[in-house]
Amino acid sequence: MNFWFTVFRQVGRNIRQTWPSQLMTLLTVSLSVLIFAFFYLVYTNMLSVGTKLGDDLRLIVYLEEQPGPEMQEQLRRKITNFDEVQEIRFISKIEAYDRFVNQLSQNKDVLEDMPHDFLPASIEVIPLKTLRGLTQIKLFSEYLAKLPGTIKVQYGQEWVERFYSFTRLLSIIVLLSGNLLILTTVFMVAYTIRLTIMGRQAELELLKLVGATNNYIRTPFLLEGLLQGLLGSTFGLLSLYLLFDWIKVQFSGPGLLTLFNFTFFPYSASFTIIGVSILLCTVGSFTSMQKFLRI
Amino acid sequence: MIELIKVSKTYPPDVTALTDISVTIGRGEMFFLIGMSGAGKTTLLKLLCSMETPTNGLIEVTGKPIHKLKGTALARLRQKIGVAYQDFKLLTDRTAAENIAISMEVSYKKPQIIRKRVVDLLEQLDLSDKHNTITGELSRGEQQRVTLARAVANSPALILVDEPTGNLDATTTERVMKLLNKCNSSGATIVIATHDDSIYRDTTHRVMELRKGRIHAVNGGMNA
Repeated sequence: MNFWFTVFRQVGRNIRQTWPSQLMTLLTVSLSVLIFAFFYLVYTNMLSVGTKLGDDLRLIVYLEEQPGPEMQEQLRRKITNFDEVQEIRFISKIEAYDRFVNQLSQNKDVLEDMPHDFLPASIEVIPLKTLRGLTQIKLFSEYLAKLPGTIKVQYGQEWVERFYSFTRLLSIIVLLSGNLLILTTVFMVAYTIRLTIMGRQAELELLKLVGATNNYIRTPFLLEGLLQGLLGSTFGLLSLYLLFDWIKVQFSGPGLLTLFNFTFFPYSASFTIIGVSILLCTVGSFTSMQKFLRI
Repeated sequence: MIELIKVSKTYPPDVTALTDISVTIGRGEMFFLIGMSGAGKTTLLKLLCSMETPTNGLIEVTGKPIHKLKGTALARLRQKIGVAYQDFKLLTDRTAAENIAISMEVSYKKPQIIRKRVVDLLEQLDLSDKHNTITGELSRGEQQRVTLARAVANSPALILVDEPTGNLDATTTERVMKLLNKCNSSGATIVIATHDDSIYRDTTHRVMELRKGRIHAVNGGMNA
């Protein structure tokens, strides 16, 4: 008889004998993976949203006076003194008015009595894509605010700060749910294997006496942990995918979700989650064996 | 096959089970171990299969100090030793066939060979109709025979049998002894611990009597 044939048959026996606790463990592992993967999915998508926002990021420097060509050159030099930028665009008062009219479209009548130069001139600074992170943007903004003739600098501070806080919170939740995943998988699998060992104590004792090798006795338990990890994480990820698909269908109309291109995990991330779950469950199984299996 | 040199066994705190046992059992020999209850027969068998370790002395089985072996080496040696325990050690939630098959499964025998051997042994021990019966539902005598079948199933080189006929009638005792003699004829060394004198009364094999953990007498041996 082949070693693996015997091992798989033993695994089948173990699962049959302790199926209620096996099922509970499987559900717990699935749920833990689902919770962790859910937050991780939101986090990774938020990161890509952040990258996209970073791509569209521009700082608007409002000026007291419309700068002449010489002044424009001086300002351009001052700005690039801080860092290389992708683009610097000077917006005159008239240009600003025209843009505003375009934005108001049907409601442009409200501007009828207003002079065409009531809006301040400004500079649109599009930073390089290498400028990332709230601190760097803040520093750049503070530098621009100190330029001569600057009234104020805008880059949607409040929104950007909120977004970064939200991403930070998400990263904490991902860490916590990751810990939850580790604890539940290791402990639940260890507990189930312990139950199996206790339930088969007499058989294990006999196997030892009739000459079963350590591998013959241990491998089915390790394989059991491995299967719990494989099946649990696969079910967890599958559930998340179905949930993700459902949400995409439900919110496919115009709305916030359509602004961003939400995507599921790439294959590599899915396989990593499955791989780590398998590893954790096998570790759980191994620790239980070390503790309770006396062979 | 078996060498015991000045073997002693003391259970804590200070219960002496065996004292200075020295004996050599040759390959292919049938050896009877007799004595009253508590004489040390079961302890000696347990030492021979490394269920217990001696307090003093040396035990060699097939030239290897069995009490010093560990891990795979011990497992491999145990595959060559079949033991019929006094307390049976059956898996009472498994069938008779499954219990017998266990000793062959650990040696990775092919399933069809295992099936054939199980059927054959059950027939020899008059248990053919108990093939699929859960051993917990069998009588003591039937359980004893299943234990014996498991001990000989893997065709081991050494068979240790503890009180093989304790729960059996005369006819079944004869069947059991016939099976053991058959194994012995095939070359297996057999050590039988018993106080049933009907199975060793007229034997030509060696009979060693233990009293209070010491060798009292070794008789016979014309066939050895």
